[in-house]
Amino acid sequence: MGRFFAAYPLHVRDINGAMNSAPTRHALRGSLDALPLFIPALPFAFVFGVVVAEAGIPEWLGWSSSPIIFGGAIQVTLFTLIGEGASVAAAVSAALIVGARHMFYSVTLAPRFQHQPGWFRWVGAYVLIDQVFVLSQIKRIDDPVAFRRYFLSAGFTFWTLWMISTALGVVLGPAIPTEWGVEFAAPVLFVSLMMAASERQDKLAAAAMAMGVTYLLASLPNRAGILIAVIVSVFVMLLATRKKST
Amino acid sequence: MIATAIILTGIGSYAMRAFFIFALARYAFPPLFLRALEYVAPTVMAALVISMLTTPEGELAAGLPELLGLVCAAFAAKTTGNHILALIAGMGTFWLIGAII
Repeated sequence: MGRFFAAYPLHVRDINGAMNSAPTRHALRGSLDALPLFIPALPFAFVFGVVVAEAGIPEWLGWSSSPIIFGGAIQVTLFTLIGEGASVAAAVSAALIVGARHMFYSVTLAPRFQHQPGWFRWVGAYVLIDQVFVLSQIKRIDDPVAFRRYFLSAGFTFWTLWMISTALGVVLGPAIPTEWGVEFAAPVLFVSLMMAASERQDKLAAAAMAMGVTYLLASLPNRAGILIAVIVSVFVMLLATRKKST
Repeated sequence: MIATAIILTGIGSYAMRAFFIFALARYAFPPLFLRALEYVAPTVMAALVISMLTTPEGELAAGLPELLGLVCAAFAAKTTGNHILALIAGMGTFWLIGAII
């Protein structure tokens, strides 16, 4: 209880009361943790708006991809290729290769989801994006109920903000000037997330290796180098740490 | 045609997110597998950073302001554990070095 009082501003405690504080705390924490992670997604939503406009797609149809697909890089890839005149099959498969890293997230969270009810598997998978995944890995909440509240609250905070900002993006178009380099906030945030997820030296080594392999494979189409870099780095780290322990 | 593409991509990306959660719902993960999964978050984040800084042709699209910005962001993240401070450190360095050069 002491930790709870220390970690939150007074007014939050007053609203929720002390007795039911633990469940509310994880839901609130999920939302608060998601907010700063959304900052780089905001300029990206305007990039998305420009891509939709340049592809000549009606605003409402372009925006509908936000609730249907819910994945910024996947949406932008799809509409960029459609705008370039690619076939549906080519555009969809390229977009899905860009999104294929979500399969890694699905495998990684599978053990945690074993302790969850069926409905949460359906709903949780829908909001399983980069930022929600990495938050769930950084926070390591063991209690299944707390984990579920945290995950859903972070996921749907991000979801709500993405729905609003992509709606603004398709309506306003290039409202954020690109000459400031605000898009650079995305790699900055992901470096920060990488450091938070690498609390051990071996994880940091794995991350460094993944950076190198991704760079070597950067010319592969549809960012497929990401997938290979992850598999190679994980495999090499397993071999390296196994040798050390025996 | 565009609506079909959106719906197909939506089904595909949901299926990729849900597949292993359902397929491995009753699977007893061996310790080696669980150990491998610990490396997924750091390596995917690292790979995403590099893919954001390279062109589709494989060239590095980052100069000194970007590289110093990322180093400062990494340092701020490691020492403070706060993503907002890391964003401020990274973007601040990037803008400052960019203005000087």
